Amino acid sequence: MTGGLRVSLNLESHTPAYRQIANDLRRHLVEGRLKPGDLLPPVRQLAVDLGVHFNTVALAYRMLADEGWLELKRRRGAGVIARNSPRAVGRLQVDHLLRQLAHIAAELRSVGMTSRQISSALRRLAQGARP
Amino acid sequence: MTSASWAMTLVVTVNAILFHAMPRFSRPDILFAVTVPDAFAAGAGRTLVWRYRAIVWSGAAAALAISLLLPSPLPGSGRGALLVLIVVTGNMMVALAAWLLAHRKARAHAVPPSDVRVASLVPRDTSLPGGALFAVGPFAILLATALLVYTYQDDAPDRTGTIRSFGPLAFGAVYVAMMLTMAVSLARGTRQIAVDGLAAAAEQRFRRMNVLVLVLVGYATAILLSAVTLESIRAFGDTLSGRVWLVLLPVVLFNFGVAFWMFRVGQGGQRAVSPAARQEVHGDATPDHAWKVGGLFYFNPHDSAIWVEKRVGFGYTLNIGNSRAWLLIGMMLAPVVAARLLF
Repeated sequence: MTGGLRVSLNLESHTPAYRQIANDLRRHLVEGRLKPGDLLPPVRQLAVDLGVHFNTVALAYRMLADEGWLELKRRRGAGVIARNSPRAVGRLQVDHLLRQLAHIAAELRSVGMTSRQISSALRRLAQGARP
Repeated sequence: MTSASWAMTLVVTVNAILFHAMPRFSRPDILFAVTVPDAFAAGAGRTLVWRYRAIVWSGAAAALAISLLLPSPLPGSGRGALLVLIVVTGNMMVALAAWLLAHRKARAHAVPPSDVRVASLVPRDTSLPGGALFAVGPFAILLATALLVYTYQDDAPDRTGTIRSFGPLAFGAVYVAMMLTMAVSLARGTRQIAVDGLAAAAEQRFRRMNVLVLVLVGYATAILLSAVTLESIRAFGDTLSGRVWLVLLPVVLFNFGVAFWMFRVGQGGQRAVSPAARQEVHGDATPDHAWKVGGLFYFNPHDSAIWVEKRVGFGYTLNIGNSRAWLLIGMMLAPVVAARLLF
């Protein structure tokens, strides 16, 4: 694991805290900054550092474990595991995510971004660039 | 000057020196227990500190003047002790009022708490310094002493005396258990404020030093109580008689050493770090409004941290808004209960 890996939480965001944590972790996993064999901090440690309830972090870890990224270790946090292929997800979940993307695209157009700019930004994000 | 006047002068002077130094007993960007901008701490904040110190020293001077101007009470009348109590308490009240006033003024310049919290994903070392085996050493010392007492029970002044001599050892075991529990919870239940870099490393060193102090207090307690216990047995009494100071001296020296080190590196070890290295961190990641009584107590039921860095003084204090902290507070009463039952 490289140094400087961090997770952030915006208290003003409408996104639930556990989802913000899971999103940050997933980004590190997808971009390869967290590799198989790496250990994440124990639930309590991360919860105390972020000032949230233990269940919030536990829920984020559980979410990523369900997606096949993490193996939960009792009292030792969670370990990153090899994930050869994405877990098969239901059509409904993909539809749900695409609907969210459509809402975001509409919001971006309403603040003045053109379709071309949105497509370009999406392409960059899909390739791992930071917003 | 009477001995009461000398005692009063000493207490008032030490009190004034402590209150004088108190603004330095916090992180560099915390002034009078309030998170302030660097520009304020380096500018108008200094004037606030100067005024606060002027009140503290004026209070001390007034207390000393009162004690010198008042006629000396008759020896043995009890009025001397009462006078000392009134003057010393009054002096402390003035200093505390000066602190609270400065705290209120500093709050007008407080930095609003950040909506963004950041944490490192690198697991940190939360083990006890020296490992678990080192941590249980005090129990081994107490157990070995108990075995010696049992072996030499015929050598004790009388049978009752032998049985009584187990009392301090049992008390020691309870006290050491309390210290170890505090050490473990401090190592695991404290927030890491700086995420990475030199500031984070300094903070981790500071935390581990505090944990080590708790473990060593356990050792000092075990050795001291063992020495006192063995002193009452004839076989060891002659060797140990009057040499308890040999145990106490290193403890006192160590305490002075730690106090000096903490004063040098500052709260959270942050004064030993360059401003550039700690620029990413501002404050101590606790909201100002959760600090009560001028920053002396931290009450935040929404914070999962059991321990947080003190805003006044070095080291850590309990988050009394956290229910698990009250379990620890309850445990701190265990030695009192043990003393009541054993002595």
